[in-house]
Amino acid sequence: MTTTPIESVDRALAAIARYDRPDLEARLRQARARLADDHVRLLVVGEFKQGKSMLVNGLLGAPVCPVFDDIATAVPTVVRYAEQPVVTLVREEARIEVPIDQLPSYASEAGNPGNRERLDHIEVGIPRPILSEGLMLVDTPGVGGLSSAHGAATMSALPTADAVLLVSDASQEYTAPELEFLRNAVAVCPNVACVITKTDLYPEWRFVAKRNQEHVADAGIKASFFMVSSTLRWHALQTGDQEVNKESGYPPLVTYLRKHVLGEAESLSQRSTRHDVHAVLDQIIASLRAEQAAQEDPASAAALIADLQRAEERAAGLKERSARWQQTLSDGVADLNADVDYDLRDRMREIVREAEDALQAGDPTKIWDQFSSWVQDAASAAVSANSVWATQRARWLARRVAEHFDSEREQMLPSLRTGTADPMRSVRELTVKEEEKFGVGGRLLSGLRGGYSGLLMFGLLSSVIGLSLLNPISIGAGLLLGGKTIGDERKRIVQRRQNDAKTALRKYIDDVTFHAGKESRDMLRGMQRDLRDHFTTLAEQLKRSLQESIQAAQKSVKASSADRSARLSELVAEIAALEKVREAA
Amino acid sequence: MIIDEVRRVLSMAIEAYRDQPRVAHFLRGQMNRLDSPLRVAIAGRVKAGKSTLLNALVGDSLAPTDAGECTRVVTWYQNGPSPRVVMEPVSGDPVSLPVVRRSGALSISLGGVAASRLVVDWPSQSLRTMTLIDTPGIASVSSENSLRTTRFLTPDDDTPTEADAVIYLMKHLHASDGEFLSAFRDQGVARATAINTVAVLSRADEIGGGRADAMISARAIASRYRTEPALHGLCQNVVAVAGLLAHTGRTLTQAEFSLLAGLADGPRDALESSLLSADRFSSGSSERAALLGRFGVFGIRLSVSLIRQGVRSQAALAAELVARSGLEDLQRVLSVQFGERRDLLKARSALLALDQVLRGGGGGRLAGEVERILAATHEFAELRLLSALRSGVVSLPRALASEAEQLLGLGGVAPAARLGLAPSCSDVEVRRAAFASLRRWQAHAENPMFGRRSADACRVLVRTCEGLLV
Repeated sequence: MTTTPIESVDRALAAIARYDRPDLEARLRQARARLADDHVRLLVVGEFKQGKSMLVNGLLGAPVCPVFDDIATAVPTVVRYAEQPVVTLVREEARIEVPIDQLPSYASEAGNPGNRERLDHIEVGIPRPILSEGLMLVDTPGVGGLSSAHGAATMSALPTADAVLLVSDASQEYTAPELEFLRNAVAVCPNVACVITKTDLYPEWRFVAKRNQEHVADAGIKASFFMVSSTLRWHALQTGDQEVNKESGYPPLVTYLRKHVLGEAESLSQRSTRHDVHAVLDQIIASLRAEQAAQEDPASAAALIADLQRAEERAAGLKERSARWQQTLSDGVADLNADVDYDLRDRMREIVREAEDALQAGDPTKIWDQFSSWVQDAASAAVSANSVWATQRARWLARRVAEHFDSEREQMLPSLRTGTADPMRSVRELTVKEEEKFGVGGRLLSGLRGGYSGLLMFGLLSSVIGLSLLNPISIGAGLLLGGKTIGDERKRIVQRRQNDAKTALRKYIDDVTFHAGKESRDMLRGMQRDLRDHFTTLAEQLKRSLQESIQAAQKSVKASSADRSARLSELVAEIAALEKVREAA
Repeated sequence: MIIDEVRRVLSMAIEAYRDQPRVAHFLRGQMNRLDSPLRVAIAGRVKAGKSTLLNALVGDSLAPTDAGECTRVVTWYQNGPSPRVVMEPVSGDPVSLPVVRRSGALSISLGGVAASRLVVDWPSQSLRTMTLIDTPGIASVSSENSLRTTRFLTPDDDTPTEADAVIYLMKHLHASDGEFLSAFRDQGVARATAINTVAVLSRADEIGGGRADAMISARAIASRYRTEPALHGLCQNVVAVAGLLAHTGRTLTQAEFSLLAGLADGPRDALESSLLSADRFSSGSSERAALLGRFGVFGIRLSVSLIRQGVRSQAALAAELVARSGLEDLQRVLSVQFGERRDLLKARSALLALDQVLRGGGGGRLAGEVERILAATHEFAELRLLSALRSGVVSLPRALASEAEQLLGLGGVAPAARLGLAPSCSDVEVRRAAFASLRRWQAHAENPMFGRRSADACRVLVRTCEGLLV
């Protein structure tokens, strides 16, 4: 069968046009729209200087991403299909198109150091066959250790990806952070492949690859491995040397992407389309069959109608608020909300506890820079871990709800929305109030204050025994008390700084919890709405089809025998036509 | 001399603690350490090329190197009259192991015993001035290995570290590198940070994908790291070194040279095409595979083009390779930063150890002595100020700060180097320059715009200038 999913949807649409079922048509149109706008996001991640951009360029066969000896990529670059080459900068909601040759000045670390342009990402559209099938490559900036803040941003992008390529060069085995990342990636993403690059440079790459495979197997992770050399690939592209191309190791990777990643996405969409087409046609055929049965044997129509009415009641029951799946969904979301919130708060409390211990140890102004970057890293890592966990739980819940409907639950699930916004973006930075200076002037003043009262106090006391106001005892007491006042003042200032720092820390963590909490609540609420709408529509369609059947059956009882035989032959033909379309899908 | 002072205090301490054999033994160890060469540990992430660099520094294939993670035990390489390998198990007495060399490299088999460290004695010129310590890589998948290094260099309980100085290898600056280096800063008495660490951008030949200009790229990256604020407070200097090239250069054989010369005389196109990848070059020839293992793709490219340019003898090629590998830069930095300050670094280690013992209680008079040495020794004040300047605890205007760092001996402790003069300067010139900078720093010390700390810093520098005049 060589019909594309879109064609079979179109055919089904044409076939059901005469039955006046706008609800079912809408369902097919939705399926069609989903097919037309289907992208497979392929995330290319890894530590810096592993050859990620070279890999993307090698896959595309075009120098799209800037490559350099020093750290090169500064901004995530999304490469997708377009008829004409086009570069678009995306900053929050704004989209700016720029000429192609300006790409390096925005994407590279040299042109845009530390992403000072504050771009979210750059979209590049180029006409390449591999992209025309809906593949979208995302080149991410390398991270210095996958556990840093950058790494956290990459982690939060994981649930939106259809496939992940973990890039690591052949100079060494996987490090602990890389394995940890891999473990997280397989938890949320269906396709994870490990790519070992630069095999041209390291004679011992086979050994490294073997060790990596062992490490991955030891960790209980299933992932495909690809060993590639971008230099060879590039040479092959320029000279057209097929032999070199084969040596570069790219062909298996391209095949994997085509067959496995794209193919799997395709077959998934094919399956869900087929399911949609079948479900729609089945409903119509069922009502026709009911009518057929009634026409053939009017005597048994009453029993049939009773059956149908019972089924309709059941379908109507599914729509009710009290339906079991509704219960499962709302309970599940409430539980999930509480759990996710608790998890987030728990993580944050742990950070606050640790941070406060660090602050208590001394004058916070001295360690502030290190301290604040540590807190921010820890907070963003916690947030991304929390969101990955929330996504996993949400998917599980969706499956639970679908179980109430029928056994083919895979196809019944709508795609869940996942949080694409980075919650850390709207969080204000961790800052502390301008510190109070305790300079020479301040010290002098407080010293004088303490000294003066000491002098006066002891001067007056000793004047009782006949000494003058200024005598050695009173001067000594003045000096002593003055020194003590300065010491107290200093202690007080350090304490105040500690308190200020703690307040700033709490405020920051509050802010993070607030934004991240809102993000995850929004995600869950959106998911709840999507699931509810999806399943309610399904129930509605089912109910309407059953009603039609009942009406048709009731009509047939009243019809004359001549009409009946004419209608019967019509019905047989219609059913046959629909069956054919159904088979073809 | 400072070292004599420290030795005197140490012997007083040994005397005072003679009723506690363990402490006395520990202190005697410190005493011996004063007389032995400087201990330099080589640390870094897994596969950063630590063992290769060690071999290059020694000029011999001592430390086993492998494609996999291979250094699993902290190993000491020290100068000795004859080759000897001693393993110290976690529990039990040290065991002598047979010295076996397999295809040039030392082969050590632990036989499944959990070793706490290995000590290799080897007669070598290079080991005479410093004892080198090879460590397992950090961020290793086997966290056990990683832990060993961290424990060795930054022990949890406040015991002073066993190494006097550290060469830290990194391929690129990773978050875990920064963490490790910050952890290595110690909090002990001398409060010196970054003073005893030199960072090395290792495997520099691989940075540009083995292209001909790889080393130039690597040097540019190293100089960027040198100005990186994150590294500024953590190490004194960043040098790019191609360890493999350096090691091969120091141990180049005639057979290898003639093989390379044969390649250079062959047709260019064939060689270019075979050098596209490691697999192509070594396919079907174990000789070539061995050559690749010794030189790397970059090394072969470089050697062939050098031979074509007229480097026509094994010795000349070896010298060129070593010169281009950046090893000499590293050796120069080591001799300036560690060699010239050797006594000071060792004295510091010893005082750290002694302070540790004294903090455990008792020794009121000894504590006073330690305090006195620390306070009275101007070199320690210099060390402290240097590290404070580098980590930004004390701030001076930028131009002044770099002059101050130089004056404190960042580029070498010889008077001419401190004053930024050529080494060949006459004494008169040195004196004149020293006078000029003394005046300047005296003026800075009186500058009312500076805070107390900065003014204190200026006074230390005045003292340094005065020292140069004596």
